[in-house]
Amino acid sequence: MTTAPAPLPGIAPRTIGRTTLRWAGIMGLLAFLVAPMVPLFIWSISFRWFYPDILPSEYSARAWEQVISPTNNVIGATGQTTLIALLCTVLSVLLGVPAGRALGLHNFKGKRIVEVLILAPIIVPGLAVVLGIDTMFIRYGLSGNILGVTLVHLVPTLPYMTLVMSGVYANYDVDYELQARSLGAGRWATQRYVTLPAVFPGVVVGALFTFLISWSQYVLTLLIGDGQVETLPILLFNFARSEPAIAGALSVVFILPGILVLLLSSKYLSGDSAAVGGIGNI
Amino acid sequence: MNRFRLSERGAERLSISVLLAPAVAVIVLLFLGGLASGFLRSLNYFPLIGLNDFNFDAYFAIFTDNGFLQSLVLTFHIAFTSTLIASILAVASALLLRPAFRGKRIVHFFFSLNLTIPHLVGAIGVLYLFQNSGLVSRIMTGLDIIQRPADFPAMVFDPWAIGIIIQYVWKEIPFIGVIVLAILLSVGEDYESVARSLGANRWQAFRQVTLPLIMPGVVSASVIVFAFTFGAFEIPYLLGRTFPAALPVLAYQSYTDVDLAARPQAMAMAMVIAFISTLLIMAYMKLSRVYIRE
Amino acid sequence: MTQVTLSGLTKIFDQKSPPAVDNLDLEIESGKLTALLGPSGCGKTTTMKMIAGLLRPTAGDILFDGDSILSIKPEERGAVMVFQNYLLFPYMNIADNIGFGLKMRKVNKKEIRSRVQDMLDLVQLPGFEDRKPNQLSGGQQQRIALARALIVQPNVLLLDEPLSNLDAHLRDEMRVLIRRIQTEMGITTVFVTHDQEEAVVLADKVALLFDGRLQQFDAPDSFYDTPNTVDIATFFGGTNFIPGYYLDGTITTDIGVFDAPNSLVPEGDAVLSIRPEAVDLGEGGENSVSGTVLSHVYAGRYARFQIRIGDIEIEAVTEPGQVKLFADGDNIPVKFDPDKIWVLGPNTAEQPAATTG
Ligand SMILES: Nc1ncnc2c1ncn2[C@@H]1O[C@H](COP(=O)(O)OP(=O)(O)OP(=O)(O)O)[C@@H](O)[C@H]1O
Ligand SMILES: [Mg+2]
Repeated sequence: MTTAPAPLPGIAPRTIGRTTLRWAGIMGLLAFLVAPMVPLFIWSISFRWFYPDILPSEYSARAWEQVISPTNNVIGATGQTTLIALLCTVLSVLLGVPAGRALGLHNFKGKRIVEVLILAPIIVPGLAVVLGIDTMFIRYGLSGNILGVTLVHLVPTLPYMTLVMSGVYANYDVDYELQARSLGAGRWATQRYVTLPAVFPGVVVGALFTFLISWSQYVLTLLIGDGQVETLPILLFNFARSEPAIAGALSVVFILPGILVLLLSSKYLSGDSAAVGGIGNI
Repeated sequence: MNRFRLSERGAERLSISVLLAPAVAVIVLLFLGGLASGFLRSLNYFPLIGLNDFNFDAYFAIFTDNGFLQSLVLTFHIAFTSTLIASILAVASALLLRPAFRGKRIVHFFFSLNLTIPHLVGAIGVLYLFQNSGLVSRIMTGLDIIQRPADFPAMVFDPWAIGIIIQYVWKEIPFIGVIVLAILLSVGEDYESVARSLGANRWQAFRQVTLPLIMPGVVSASVIVFAFTFGAFEIPYLLGRTFPAALPVLAYQSYTDVDLAARPQAMAMAMVIAFISTLLIMAYMKLSRVYIRE
Repeated sequence: MTQVTLSGLTKIFDQKSPPAVDNLDLEIESGKLTALLGPSGCGKTTTMKMIAGLLRPTAGDILFDGDSILSIKPEERGAVMVFQNYLLFPYMNIADNIGFGLKMRKVNKKEIRSRVQDMLDLVQLPGFEDRKPNQLSGGQQQRIALARALIVQPNVLLLDEPLSNLDAHLRDEMRVLIRRIQTEMGITTVFVTHDQEEAVVLADKVALLFDGRLQQFDAPDSFYDTPNTVDIATFFGGTNFIPGYYLDGTITTDIGVFDAPNSLVPEGDAVLSIRPEAVDLGEGGENSVSGTVLSHVYAGRYARFQIRIGDIEIEAVTEPGQVKLFADGDNIPVKFDPDKIWVLGPNTAEQPAATTG
């Protein structure tokens, strides 16, 4: 045996230097990412916050009281936003999961066209479509009500859900189903006990983000809701310029589901999953 | 045997149609239907009010209108600048966050956090940070760098759309970054190690090996970002000037104009936005096909 | 060529787990093929990466021809590592992959092209220039990875399990190729494997690692004949162990007393080890005891016997001619040739970490 290894003189300082640099970079990055949230939060608990005070001279829960009070209809709007997002999620799952299965597992003639059709609404901006949709919806009485808004939210959410599921199914080996069938499971039992457990995490993550996409829609709701359907983003926008304290409090409410979703799904969410690809839309 | 095969395949085709039909029907109806109805309207075709003829008046009108052209240029500037800055910073961030360090999971969580924060909230945050009497201006006053709100350089409602670009960069760094980071983590560092071992220096290894590996991800994410920043409405509506306004804002203003004659022009603008994003989809498909083949 | 010296080389990835490489001393001879042998996770790849400069050691030093190279960047070390999983750059064709190192050195295109041709000939894959890596079989990719390393004429070639992903036939072929190229070019080569047979067949010297620590560094046959510890003997497989007490050239065991001139322990508790093929069946006299045949397997070129002696079972391997002589249940004399007995220390914990042979 030789003597105990001597630490290398040249190595330690250099490693520390690089680590420090890295941490400086990381902290700078996170600071930039968090920065816009800071004034929102401070506004939400401020009472008097005049220029040039860096922090409010008085704090209060006034903004939060206003959020709860019925006069501003925040609770109603939250309920309506949730209802629309839930409806939209259910529809997207019901339609998107089968379509995703077809795209993920099968090759067929015209697949390319269907893929373009699914991808297009994700890339084409909502505004370019919604003006035309508005013209149609007015004619069929779908303008200015929840049903119409839910339907128009399907334009971004359904393709998203389909895309996520097609990714999930593409990674799923159908041989599991054949194996189950040969072991005596029927069609239904195979789906129930073999396929569903395999794709379930994907469905959940997709559904959670579908919810968020609908939850954060602004311009689609603005046009199709026609002032009759008041969701959180509509309220938030209205307060943004006039009532910073209320806008701050509303923003906090508005971002909570997203944080929750991220906490729930971060285990499944990596950038190569289709789940991320579509959330440029939130 | 042969007949059995055929019927089997027939059954498969049937089941594919059954699986696809509802979703495709909804998308065709809403998306393509919306586009088609917008297109017809942009051609001044609107039988409901007795307009039964096509013409290109709306397109002539907008393309000869200086305001529209300025909007178009501004919108390209916003989309291009935001996408470029966001992509570069996202790649840098991903490289920064790649190696193992203590607290990596928490840092990654915070990094991906604003994937879920709606653009609208980010835009309001940017507004409260960078308006003349915003938090940054206050801090600078506190540090005696400026004396009055008016001394603060215009960063929202400004001609260069700085606030809009800041908001997009803020929101899209994590979006592109998470995609790039996932690629980096799944490929590992061994390719770069091989390159270094074969005689590439740090920069060469990045340029020749890392970059080509992440490029497909960067490009496809950038296309999505470009399309979004080109067509998003609420951010320029909140942070931008009224003249020239970004194209989607201009389209919205024309659509809600009291003068109903402006509507076909609004539709024509929507079609321009749709057309440009269609070009992007084609680019996206082409690029993804090129990369998938490798 | 280059002699590589590892001195007290240590790598600790995180403080909670034991070192991946622990105070490793090794003298890798110039121009020779040295095998780094050990079970999965014992630190072989980590050691190679440190030599190549791809990983900074926590402590210790690496010397090329007596000079420390720790401060030299990987691209300037002249030590090229070929990875376990080939890692051909997927978006480059084969010619660009092989020519990569030369391109980094700014060699002109014409020369790169001609040297790539030479390399393709060397690894017997002419005409593959324009293919993409995913159009090649595993064995072909392996050969391209080798060519990509050789083209830069490294001083030290580090091959990380170059054969582990190949089938038996390809493996034999690649062994021959590697040995031939190594001898022709005289490159100091370190070769990682977890297969003791491969190490023995291919290497001039073998370094055996367990848990990041060097167990024995020796010529290949020493690992069979004179292993340092019971663990080493067990890793190489098939040896009989009989515990006993060693004193003055003899070892006293439960089944008898044997002459044993070759011993690692001077005196005290010890283990007699003898390889199955060194056990002589049917021979009496000095150093022999009586045993019972429990079972036997006839395997063509040899026969394998299970023998019970007292409370102990041992294995013996004999030439096929003797098979007919013994049936299961026979009582026969069993002889241990004194020169083939190797006496080891009793348990691994108190063994010296390494002995350089
Ligand atoms: N980057 C790393 N971070 C933390 N631990 C690591 C890292 N790389 C390797 N290790 C650990 O160091 C030990 C040695 O790993 P190494 O890759 O050198 O093993 P190996 O001998 O090459 O094994 P194999 O035969 O399976 O390739 C293992 O326990 C491994 O888990
Ligand atoms: Mg290894």
